[in-house]
Amino acid sequence: MSVEAQQGIATPRIPAGLGGLLPALILIGLFFVVPVLALLLRSVTDPAPGLQNYAALLGDGTYARVFFNTFLVAAVVTIVTVLVAFPVAWMLAIMPPVLASILFGIIILSMWTNLLTRTYAWMVLLQRTGVINRALMGAGIIDQPLPLINNLTGVTIGMVYIMLPFMILPLVGTLRAIDPMTLRAAALCGASPLAAFRRILLPLSLPGIAAGGLMVFVMSLGYFVTPALLGGTSNMMLAEMIAQMIQSLLNWGLGSAAAFILLVVTMALYALQLRLVGARRTTGGA
Amino acid sequence: MLLDYDRLGWLKAALLAFTALVAAFLLLPVVFIVLLSFGSSRWLAFPPPGWTLKWYQELFADPSWIEAALTSARIATMTAILAVTIGLLASFALVRGQFRGREILRGLLLTPMVLPVVVFAIAIYAFFLRLGLGGTTIGFVVAHTVLALPFAIIPMATALEGFDKSIEDAAIVCGASPLQAKLRITLPSIRIGIFSAAIFSFLASWDEVVVAIFMASPTLQTLPVKIWGSLRSDLTPVIAAASSLLVALTLALMIVTALLRRKLQT
Repeated sequence: MSVEAQQGIATPRIPAGLGGLLPALILIGLFFVVPVLALLLRSVTDPAPGLQNYAALLGDGTYARVFFNTFLVAAVVTIVTVLVAFPVAWMLAIMPPVLASILFGIIILSMWTNLLTRTYAWMVLLQRTGVINRALMGAGIIDQPLPLINNLTGVTIGMVYIMLPFMILPLVGTLRAIDPMTLRAAALCGASPLAAFRRILLPLSLPGIAAGGLMVFVMSLGYFVTPALLGGTSNMMLAEMIAQMIQSLLNWGLGSAAAFILLVVTMALYALQLRLVGARRTTGGA
Repeated sequence: MLLDYDRLGWLKAALLAFTALVAAFLLLPVVFIVLLSFGSSRWLAFPPPGWTLKWYQELFADPSWIEAALTSARIATMTAILAVTIGLLASFALVRGQFRGREILRGLLLTPMVLPVVVFAIAIYAFFLRLGLGGTTIGFVVAHTVLALPFAIIPMATALEGFDKSIEDAAIVCGASPLQAKLRITLPSIRIGIFSAAIFSFLASWDEVVVAIFMASPTLQTLPVKIWGSLRSDLTPVIAAASSLLVALTLALMIVTALLRRKLQT
């Protein structure tokens, strides 16, 4: 019995070693790494070997506009999302459990609802004859319907809606980890609420804001569905342009090159985000 | 006292009001779409002039909607099974394995979650065109499993990290084989993680739009592709009816999750 037991522990178990990773590595290697590398190869060989696809993308004003637009939308969406998410996360972190669980339920419902469903709802709500325009005109606030869709406003509303849970949920964790005693101490020492917010609460939650904000920014950069449905032709974003180059124009060389640029930017920002989260972990533990 | 709910003073009222507004903003599209699906106006007038079930009748009378939903359910189920199986094996290796480059491999397996889907979509589309897998169920399942794998690995690896391995060792000391110990001790202990992994990977496939748009063929369409196509042509209330059913499904999943979690935790 005891000999058996010792053998049992001593024998290397298959899932404990590298073996268990094999199926996952085969799947990711064969159907993720290889196709992406093949795409990158195509960007420098299609239609002829060389860097002409990249030269075309980076040298042309039309494409430059798309790049600029992509960064603009991602930046606006990130800023609005952070500003809206912070007070909500703050309340969520300290409100009574019953209220908090209702609010969590609403956030999860919105997050789990089909992406196209949510975008469809915004398309109907924001259109010229939509509910929001009618309500505003009915209330006498505006005379003409506001252009809320097929422009930056529409994309921003739709994207902020999608990104909010991704910002709120991690921020709640950051805020809950802050020791309330630090703020009590500040109040005891005579700090006004504003000073306590500016000098204690905000700095302590900054790592969470930065990490979440960067994640929202990265996700927004490569977003396809919402900008394609709520945005206009004059403010096309990179992901939509890539899809169009492949699907409608069948220009694989140019599309692959644009995809590679998106990949490099995303991965660089993601690496930065990982370092931020890592930094938060080490400082948070101290 | 900024982190003390009962001593926030006037700030509390302001912050609560703002939070309530955001909650309303988050609920608005979901509630609106459900109401709209029962409205009688073809032109989506709101509030609707009357109430009707005709959009649901139209939805169920159209076999292409039913077929798209069944296709989605089939692909999502297969994706969830594959992703949980492969992910479970990988989680054991990532959490317990002692080998060099473990963190790099973990990063590699989670990359599909970070890379913009459109990049993966055109890459796998081109790749499958060459292999002759474009527009096939297998192609869909493989592509969706790649995307779902991170969502399967994260909850299971987290659960496994929180599991005390000495309990498994105790079972082995008492005569269980390593495999028996895993099947009868470890897996039941991390079942919440496995269950979350199954839900997340099912949803990752069920809601997936971008890869599906590229991969779909006239004979094989998932539900998101069907909705996408209808959205681009017109905003018919039939989409609202289909969307409301998806909202109902989400609610059902949330309730099942909450109930099961409560049951599994006790």
